[in-house]
Amino acid sequence: MKIEVLEKDETNLRLSIKEADVPLMNALRRIALAEVPSMAIDEVVMIENSSILQDEMIAHRLGLTPLKTDLDGYNLPEECKCQSEFGCSLCRVTLTMDADSTEGTRTVYSGELVSENPQIIPVSDKVPLLKLAKGQKLKLEAYARLGKGKNHAKWQPVSVCAYKYFPKIELLSEQCKDCAKCVDICPKKVLAMKENKVEVRDLLACNLCMDCVDACPQKPSAIKVEWEKDAFIMNIESSGALPPERIIQEATKILDKQLKEFEEQLKVGVK
Amino acid sequence: MSKLKVKVLKKEANELKIEVEGAGHGLCNLLQKKLLEDERVDLAGYDVPHPLASSPVIYVRMKGAAKPEDALIKAAEKAREMNTAFSKELKKALKA
Ligand SMILES: [Zn+2]
Repeated sequence: MKIEVLEKDETNLRLSIKEADVPLMNALRRIALAEVPSMAIDEVVMIENSSILQDEMIAHRLGLTPLKTDLDGYNLPEECKCQSEFGCSLCRVTLTMDADSTEGTRTVYSGELVSENPQIIPVSDKVPLLKLAKGQKLKLEAYARLGKGKNHAKWQPVSVCAYKYFPKIELLSEQCKDCAKCVDICPKKVLAMKENKVEVRDLLACNLCMDCVDACPQKPSAIKVEWEKDAFIMNIESSGALPPERIIQEATKILDKQLKEFEEQLKVGVK
Repeated sequence: MSKLKVKVLKKEANELKIEVEGAGHGLCNLLQKKLLEDERVDLAGYDVPHPLASSPVIYVRMKGAAKPEDALIKAAEKAREMNTAFSKELKKALKA
């Protein structure tokens, strides 16, 4: 297998993966979405809420606010030694909020949440949570914990985790009349005209829609779009909870653990 | 929690039907495809009877005398090797 990093920044990772297969890519994608844990607010104790939003509505919005996650410092509550329904300092983080409006109507943002652990804070402090009119108050205590996307989307560490086949574009220059119809129709601007000749500008952007093949007036078409059967481009966009490379690394760890457990179970269970 | 649990639903000389508690489409699809790469396997499939209320069921039928559980172990081994290769290559790529 060959892997190459195409793009990487704080929240995005784009990989080119060669000599892999669909089931592996799919398993990793599904695990990144549904089984890599991340931190999210799960329980809220309302102390005072005189805003127009119901307690449940606010709790829901708090839950969906992405939090920076520390996977090494915290346990999943179901795996934590404490086994307490209230959690302990290793499986729960308390965040508090005490907001009011003294003059006019104002918006309360995620940045007003105060965490007991300065590492576990909202990814962005600019998530609008609700509006308070003059004299209204909101005071609450929220408990965040690790969880998995399969139980609730708020625990998904990724906003996007997808793969596509590695594209292969062939321009048959003898047949091509350089009419540029394929260049104009491509929604991803994969093709371009250079010195009155069609050329591939950005191969990796191709989403294999085949519009260029259909748009070509030549019969048969002067442009051929195919894909490599064992090469993929994987895109991971983190919600900000974890670095994208950590998410995919965790996914491989989880898959390995599952396969190991499966083998062990088969060896003892099926005789 | 999170531990996989295998329950045998049906076991014949050349057939095996198991329920895998804690697994999902990702793992089952991977195992099925790896089983089908094994020439001794006649038929391999899986089903999730209900997305929330039940665990996936994997079914394997063998062509000859080979044991279906051995084919499953081999499939899991193969999938693990590939996953390990992925994680090693990823580490290398991220360092570069
Ligand atoms: Zn605990």
